[in-house]
Amino acid sequence: MEILAFVSFAVLVVAWLVAPSRGNVAVVSHAEERKAA
Amino acid sequence: MPNNISAGDTAWLLASAALVMLMTPALGFFYGGLVRRKNVLATIMHSFFILCLISVQWVLWGYTLAFGPDHGGIIGGLDWLALRGVGQDPGPYAPTVPHEAYMVFQMMFAVITPALITGAFAERKRFKAFVVFTLLWATFVYDPVAHWVWGGGWLGQLGALDFAGGTVVHITSGVSALVAALVLGRRVGYGRDALEPHDATMTVLGASLLWFGWFGFNAGSAITAGGLAANAFVVTNTAAAMAALTWMTVSWLHKGAPSVLGAAAGAVAGLVAITPASGYVDVSASILIGLGAGVFCYTAIQLTKRLKVDDALDVFGVHGVGGAWGALATGIFATVAINSGAKDGLAYGNPGQLGIQAIAVAASIIYSAVMTFVILKLIDVFVGLRVPESEEVLGLDASQHREAAYQI
Repeated sequence: MEILAFVSFAVLVVAWLVAPSRGNVAVVSHAEERKAA
Repeated sequence: MPNNISAGDTAWLLASAALVMLMTPALGFFYGGLVRRKNVLATIMHSFFILCLISVQWVLWGYTLAFGPDHGGIIGGLDWLALRGVGQDPGPYAPTVPHEAYMVFQMMFAVITPALITGAFAERKRFKAFVVFTLLWATFVYDPVAHWVWGGGWLGQLGALDFAGGTVVHITSGVSALVAALVLGRRVGYGRDALEPHDATMTVLGASLLWFGWFGFNAGSAITAGGLAANAFVVTNTAAAMAALTWMTVSWLHKGAPSVLGAAAGAVAGLVAITPASGYVDVSASILIGLGAGVFCYTAIQLTKRLKVDDALDVFGVHGVGGAWGALATGIFATVAINSGAKDGLAYGNPGQLGIQAIAVAASIIYSAVMTFVILKLIDVFVGLRVPESEEVLGLDASQHREAAYQI
């Protein structure tokens, strides 16, 4: 059970490392532009 | 063993843990009000995410590293990994409460400490870098220093007095904040644009909730629901009030107006400074500690600004300087009349205690500065610390979280 607990947390940490951290700017910028208009 | 458990002590400790838990989201609001509106969600998220992250880290390996059976005065053993053996019976640190209650109370300290640092790198740090930094910092800085002071480590053996975390919490976080500000560099527009707080009311609300939670932080550190807790409660409130009054007055004389944000920051500085002393000093000393916090922390912030160090939300000035002042003041004003299990300080004929406190301060500063620098440099190589300039200009709420705080 303890092993599973460690593994489940480790899976999350790995997911944070590989998750995208860029590429959202354009989407939000367009939304902001529409709002401003 | 279960027969030794005191219902009163247990109730107070669990309630105190809940009070300290509230401090971390409160810090999120305190910091959130101080940033520009395009970064408020990201700033609040720092504190909220840390509450979640360190809650899990602490039960898996943080608690055993900090409080597990001592290894050479440096670090706790892995005996309590995933809280194995930490249950409803009392542990070695508190004979009248369940070990789990003591563990969860300490967890909330481990949670808020890295959250304090986030104010230094606000408005420019990549979220992924922040996540990795927090996990590494908690494991390699907070857990060892907590062991040195509270877990049977070398500073505790030396006789250093730190009732609720002047060295463990505030010096480590404040000094690490300064290092982080220097390594990350200044925000885009620093010195050119007005980087003004977007909601001062949010900051004052956050400071008020921090003050409320701090009663659990300091009075809860008595671990027992008795006279020592009552004394810690009184001196905590007094120092916070005195520091707020002092900061407001100094800023009034210096800048010509009694700043509301200054009063809020002053209260926090007073709370920081009384933290290590709260179980050892009387109410008169707490007034002097609050006075010193107001003057020293305010001055430190003016100096950092003059040196153009972009510690965005003044973490070093409040926590680093306030924590160091509080730790040294403990060596001056501590008295066995308040805590028979402690030592007298300089003012009561024991100058050696001030020397021990100075060693604890120096050790905390050096270790946390070096380790934080190494961790940040490693992250910069493998992950990248800062968001690109275009994302910083757009704001972290949009670029990092794809959300906006306000639709008005």
